[in-house]
Amino acid sequence: MSQNAEKVLDHFNLFRQPEYVELFENKKKEFEFAEPADKVEEVREWAKTWEYREKNFAREALTVNPAKACQPLGAVFAAVGFEGTIPFVHGSQGCVAYYRSHFSRHFKEPSSCVSSSMTEDAAVFGGLSNMVDGLANTYNMYQPKMISVSTTCMAEVIGDDLNAFIKTAKDKGSIPQEFDVPFAHTPAFVGSHITGYDNVLKGILWHFWDGKAGTTEPLKRVPNDKINFIGGFDGYTVGNLREIKRIFNLMGVEYTILADNSDVWDTPTDGTFRMYDGGTTLEDTANALHAKATISMQEFCTEKTLPFIAEHGQETYAFNHPIGVKATDEFLMTISRITGKPIPEALEKERGRLVDAIADSTAHIHGQKFAIYGDPDLCLGLTGFLLELGAEPVHVLSTNGNKSWADKVQALFDSSPFGKGCHVYPGKDLWHMRSLLFTEPVDFLIGNTYGKYLERDTGTPLIRIGFPIFDRHHHHRYPVWGYQGGLNVLVWILDKIFDEMDKNTIVPAKTDYSFDIIR
Amino acid sequence: MSSLSNKIQDVFNEPGCGKNQAKSEKERKKGCTKQLQPGGAAGGCAFDGAKIALQPITDVAHLVHGPIACEGNSWDNRGSKSSGSNLWRTGFTTDINETDVVFGGEKRLFKSIREVIEKYDPPAVFVYQTCVPAMIGDDIEAVCKAASKKFGKPVVPVNSPGFVGPKNLGNKLAGEALLDYVIGTEEPEYTTPYDINIIGEYNLSGELWQVKPLLDELGIRILACISGDAKYRDIACSHRARAAMMVCSKSMINIARKMEERYGIPFFEGSFYGIGDTSDALRQISRLLIERGAPAELMARTEALIAREEARAWAAIEPYKKRLTGKKVLLITGGVKSWSVVAALQESGMEVVGTSVKKSTKEDKERIKELMGEDAHMIEDMTPREMYKMLKEAKADIMLSGGRSQFVALKAKMPWLDINQERHHAYMGYVGMVELVKEIDKALYNPIWEQVRKRAPWEESTWEDVADSAIAAEAAALAANPELAREKRRSTPVCNCKSVLRGAIEDAIVEHGLTTADAVSEKTLAGTGCGSCKGKLEKILETMDHWHAETGKTGTQAQQAA
Repeated sequence: MSQNAEKVLDHFNLFRQPEYVELFENKKKEFEFAEPADKVEEVREWAKTWEYREKNFAREALTVNPAKACQPLGAVFAAVGFEGTIPFVHGSQGCVAYYRSHFSRHFKEPSSCVSSSMTEDAAVFGGLSNMVDGLANTYNMYQPKMISVSTTCMAEVIGDDLNAFIKTAKDKGSIPQEFDVPFAHTPAFVGSHITGYDNVLKGILWHFWDGKAGTTEPLKRVPNDKINFIGGFDGYTVGNLREIKRIFNLMGVEYTILADNSDVWDTPTDGTFRMYDGGTTLEDTANALHAKATISMQEFCTEKTLPFIAEHGQETYAFNHPIGVKATDEFLMTISRITGKPIPEALEKERGRLVDAIADSTAHIHGQKFAIYGDPDLCLGLTGFLLELGAEPVHVLSTNGNKSWADKVQALFDSSPFGKGCHVYPGKDLWHMRSLLFTEPVDFLIGNTYGKYLERDTGTPLIRIGFPIFDRHHHHRYPVWGYQGGLNVLVWILDKIFDEMDKNTIVPAKTDYSFDIIR
Repeated sequence: MSSLSNKIQDVFNEPGCGKNQAKSEKERKKGCTKQLQPGGAAGGCAFDGAKIALQPITDVAHLVHGPIACEGNSWDNRGSKSSGSNLWRTGFTTDINETDVVFGGEKRLFKSIREVIEKYDPPAVFVYQTCVPAMIGDDIEAVCKAASKKFGKPVVPVNSPGFVGPKNLGNKLAGEALLDYVIGTEEPEYTTPYDINIIGEYNLSGELWQVKPLLDELGIRILACISGDAKYRDIACSHRARAAMMVCSKSMINIARKMEERYGIPFFEGSFYGIGDTSDALRQISRLLIERGAPAELMARTEALIAREEARAWAAIEPYKKRLTGKKVLLITGGVKSWSVVAALQESGMEVVGTSVKKSTKEDKERIKELMGEDAHMIEDMTPREMYKMLKEAKADIMLSGGRSQFVALKAKMPWLDINQERHHAYMGYVGMVELVKEIDKALYNPIWEQVRKRAPWEESTWEDVADSAIAAEAAALAANPELAREKRRSTPVCNCKSVLRGAIEDAIVEHGLTTADAVSEKTLAGTGCGSCKGKLEKILETMDHWHAETGKTGTQAQQAA
């Protein structure tokens, strides 16, 4: 017996022991009636061909390995960015467990979120009583300052009216009349997580600015010199928002970060459990109306929020997850122009350092071919940065990217000689990407953790940048925005390039003549 | 130590060294100990030079006798490639400590040699002397001799402690160690009329392997490459070669010349960088072999191979030539590559607008002049701003440089391509040239240069504007104030080795009525270091009249007055 108490084998190694190998072989032979190995091999090879790719791209209904998540996930992401706020998802509790685990696995932090736990009864008779009881329990058990209500598909399918339900709950005394309960309808069958983020953020601003769902007078805008900043749904929110604060403080800009979840997903271990930490205060959220302008770092995460803000008289600016020198230049110059604050020397030095670092290692990235997938804005940011580095982003794919996103990516391609021969794939999934990688191979793939299957199948080394990253820890603590952030992305890319060089030269007495300590 | 100083004298007396030949008897005695200028940015030491020269010998255990500094900082720092053993990459050091410094490190060295032999059984152990054991008087030659006797294995002392001089001297002392202890100690299994040595080639990035197939095809055998991808036995047998090619002119000339003297192996100095140079080198090899008795038909085969390979290389370069023709290159690199790469670049249609002579010998410089004409800028040591100024005047598009100057280049906002030891592409031979052209093309068209050359977009004045106005202001100040101009001229360093300013030289010329560069050297010590400023001294002398007018005296008058 391979397994014994003296030396316990973990699962990595246990099932490679002879008795297990034999057991699996027998099972396969006697009971599974599998296709013969050469047939399996034949099909596998066929799936790498152009012929298969064409069939794959002719898919109309089936999505295989989607690179997107649902609206409610984005709803929760936005909600936890407000002071003392608990996201309350009206719908089935199973969905909510997903959001919590999803975020916990990415941020390595607890992720608090409650649901109205709708059951079959609720599905038939409506979820009102779940809302009434749920809000009361949440309010009493977790003592939040605000409850942000969003929905799952279940509630949306039966057509529950959040506004009316919340009013009824307040009337029935679940929660005090003046308690803030903003809401947004966020069905998963529309859009993706970035849509959910947008809806909730807009819902919260509407709540505070436009009279709290008809319960008070709308606020009157008295313009001041502050600016609002929206990060969008971003796996690097912890590092990024802190970096943005540092940059704004260096510039002396007065700002409000809307949906600041950088603290709640990075709480210290000091003996205190923080269900809530940091976040945009409710007061600041209301006062954000008076700001001079609002900056969104992710255009496609704020497609409804920004026009809503603009309607209230503010200037609005949208970026596409800016990464790298040029994109950061544009971002900083916009901030400088709006606020009238000059860009300080400290930042100019950081810029010079990033340029220096890029130039130092440029030879290794220049001319390499990449495939990128992820959220629309992140794809744009990365594409811009790669072009700046002289790399070729040959395939750029986003499951939740639309036509106007594709046009933007194409415009980026057209702006650089390195974009020639590059293609954008809106609305495609990772099984499409698999065909792309087989038929038109690239040197590196950039994507989230799910890209590891593509790495395994196609042999394309994966650089993990995106959301979610489950199988590598703590990258979300580093920024990818600002010049410092650009440096981080550069280093992640370079690390993989050098790892691959080492892997390629590591066989002793065979390839290790180039296994060098200096790269 | 006396044997070491004798050895150094011997190396200085190198008759194969053109620079040395140009010196007077007295100067020659003083040697080329370029006193490193205290406070200056220093290059490597003699130990480093010796280690670099020998560590590409792959199957030898290279044992550094000294404190951790010497091996700790140099372990496996070269991109030489091995086709066999990788023992050379293992870092062996005696790592001596305070007790050893007090009581002597010889016992520790002896034990270390024993342990290396017991554990690794290498064909030989090379023991490198470093400053500390040399100063406390460890006699590594005696220890090596004893160890060699005791363990029945060659244990070679490489006596080149850091303080004896610069890297280049270390290269030569390493050569001496091979001559004294290795070359000629074993016999090859068989010899052929086609056996050659390649001296001063280190197989960086596996470059030699780009040329070896050509030699293989011609039936020419590399009996020993000193020292890239060499095995100990190759070098021990190398005295049976029929001819030799010397690649890096400065570093191992003593080996080539002494092997000619001792074993009658004729050598030529050549290069595998560039298409024309590679063809020339192949021809020379065949010519020497034929002279030494190889069948004359070898030359016909060589020519046929050259014709085929050249055609192939040109065809591969053709697509790039269009993009590169007229592009201007500034070449900042030392030694053999300066002139060999010049030829290579010109072949691809590029124009070399300047080159550094930092580590190049006089012959190197002559070759550059030959290839590029008199007006080629030669840059001894440039500050980033000077570099920028030069680039602007010459309108250079790219700088080719060595590992360290690349960072300076970057600060001067200049595209560069690294062609020294830390590069990762092999540029030797016909294929290497194609690779170099490809890399230059890549570097020139890298989008980052645009970014590098621009200042932050919110800045109103560019970096270049700032530099331009500084340069213009300086020129204006000098033009307006002759006294300042004079001071500026007089404070220009002429001899870096001996820190002699131009003013001191002018004064000496006037005061003593000097007329020759040697006389100037005698009086001022300028030009008695590396000797590379002799040309400058001559230039200064040529324009003597200028100062005579200034002082109102002629040289002779000044002499009489004195």
